[in-house]
Amino acid sequence: MRNVMAIAQKEIKAYFDSPIAYVFIGFFALLFGYFFVALLSAFTTQSMQMMMQGGGSMNVNQQLISPLFLNTSVIILFVLPSITMRTYAEEKRSGTIELLLTSPLTDVEIILGKFFGAMTLYAALLAVTLIHIGTLFIFGKPEIWPVVTSYLGLLLMGGCFVSLGLLISSLTKNQIVAAMVTFAVFLLLWVIDWISQFTGPTTQQVLMYVSITQHLDDFTRGVLDTKHLVYYASFIGFGLFLTTRSVDSERWRG
Amino acid sequence: MIEVQHLSKRYGPVTAVNDVSFRVEKGEILGFLGPNGAGKTSTMRVLTGYMPPTEGTAIVAGYDVLEQPLEAKRRTGYLPETPPLYPDMRVRDYLTFVAKIKGVPRNQVKARVDVTMEKTRVADMARRQCGALSKGYRQRVGLAQALLHDPDVLILDEPTAGLDPKQIIETRQLIKELAGSHTIILSTHILPEVSQTCQRVVIINKGRVVAVDTPDNLTAKLRGSEAMYVQVDAQGADATQVIQQVPGVMSVRSADGQGGLEVASEAGRDIRRGLAAAVVTRGWGLLELRPMRMSLEEVFLQLTTDDTAAAAPAGEDLHA
Ligand SMILES: Nc1ncnc2c1ncn2[C@@H]1O[C@H](COP(=O)(O)OP(=O)(O)O)[C@@H](O)[C@H]1O
Ligand SMILES: [Mg+2]
Repeated sequence: MRNVMAIAQKEIKAYFDSPIAYVFIGFFALLFGYFFVALLSAFTTQSMQMMMQGGGSMNVNQQLISPLFLNTSVIILFVLPSITMRTYAEEKRSGTIELLLTSPLTDVEIILGKFFGAMTLYAALLAVTLIHIGTLFIFGKPEIWPVVTSYLGLLLMGGCFVSLGLLISSLTKNQIVAAMVTFAVFLLLWVIDWISQFTGPTTQQVLMYVSITQHLDDFTRGVLDTKHLVYYASFIGFGLFLTTRSVDSERWRG
Repeated sequence: MIEVQHLSKRYGPVTAVNDVSFRVEKGEILGFLGPNGAGKTSTMRVLTGYMPPTEGTAIVAGYDVLEQPLEAKRRTGYLPETPPLYPDMRVRDYLTFVAKIKGVPRNQVKARVDVTMEKTRVADMARRQCGALSKGYRQRVGLAQALLHDPDVLILDEPTAGLDPKQIIETRQLIKELAGSHTIILSTHILPEVSQTCQRVVIINKGRVVAVDTPDNLTAKLRGSEAMYVQVDAQGADATQVIQQVPGVMSVRSADGQGGLEVASEAGRDIRRGLAAAVVTRGWGLLELRPMRMSLEEVFLQLTTDDTAAAAPAGEDLHA
């Protein structure tokens, strides 16, 4: 555990010592802010209209927060590849991987350390959005539970992307290649969502189960379903497992 | 302390290390000498557990590197060919990180980092980023990194490569100080390095061990038969036959293809008088007679190069 912590700390330091972390956080805050403002103004216009027509007020959670978080998953799609790209690729390029692999560490410790390091930066990104969501609580009365489950869902979904990103980074020496491939794979997993809408019912079920983002839906609506938890947990576990295999096979090849 | 048996390493079709065996005793400094591509780095990478051997076994500090890698790694310090530094990290932070992953007990981390920085003379760079260090300092921080957990075994891959002469002397001095309390293997393709630092040398070429001995013995062994360079104007007769008859001569062969002969004799026996007499009594001219001394450089070249490459210049930096 101490080893995992040491690696994770090193990763976090590496993010925050260089401008990367700040660039990502800034970029993320900007995009999220844009979505926030756009959705909020649409929401206010709509609820004004409804009030004028004498209808009841709209539900902040369902009409604003849920779509906002679903849109966030798209921003994450763009940002996470650049966070995970360097994890292994850069160590291999600069030769520091020799330090890690000749230290008394197991592969699992190294991989978990890197996983938690990337997850910490990702959590820091999400933390930025607490400001926006916080204002909603100041000016309105949204339910808190769906917000909590949304964040949990986003964390888990990000975990899947991070474990996949680690795997891809472990396959190359080149950060840029790692980022491009990771992004392409993420995009593919995301596109499955739409494709599923144009297929037959059975295929649709299968595709929807495979899609990472589909599982986020229930989380944003305050539903904690074990089906989704199991899906995310096994996705993360499998990704990390494949990364250990990739690092190990690299060893044998030399 | 280190025992390597029938070690081989293949990268696909390329055989980098071929059936290598050697031992290193406790407290010894072993030089691992060979031209580029000889398989030094590959051997060291197996010894440090960076990658498994294709065949054979390696026991480091009492532990098989394949069977009990963590135990072996705990007792090994390794300086790779390029020091494994994180450019954005400051020297002290970097060494603290390494101390942690090498398993230095939590309450000793700071003390170990301080002592090691002192020993490797990098204390004045503690707050500098690793990426901003000069080549010499980078190498020293690399050495500090290998020493942090006070390992029994130190494996140093070309520790003086790319340093200036002053830094080379300092590094050699430091390595000598470390011997005794550590068992050291250091690789190099530069000869003076071995004769000045190491007690024993393993010469490796194309993945095979070609010689194992002390630096002095190696030169002596090859000089054991003293060699003379002789050039004779034999007026068309066959000088080789005649010289062969001179008492003490063991073998005669063409030295340069231009009439020069290399005459090997029994060790400690001066054949010059006899040789000169034999030539002169036949009325031939003795154009040149001089001893052929083999420097360690030539020994090395002779052992490691095949005929096609024999013309390569011998110098301080053979394969730069
Ligand atoms: N990762 C690798 N993949 C394929 N071939 C390699 C690899 N590393 C080294 N080699 C080859 O193995 C041989 C030995 O290399 P190396 O161990 O680096 O020698 P040295 O350190 O003595 O220069 C060389 O022919 C080199 O090209
Ligand atoms: Mg080498």
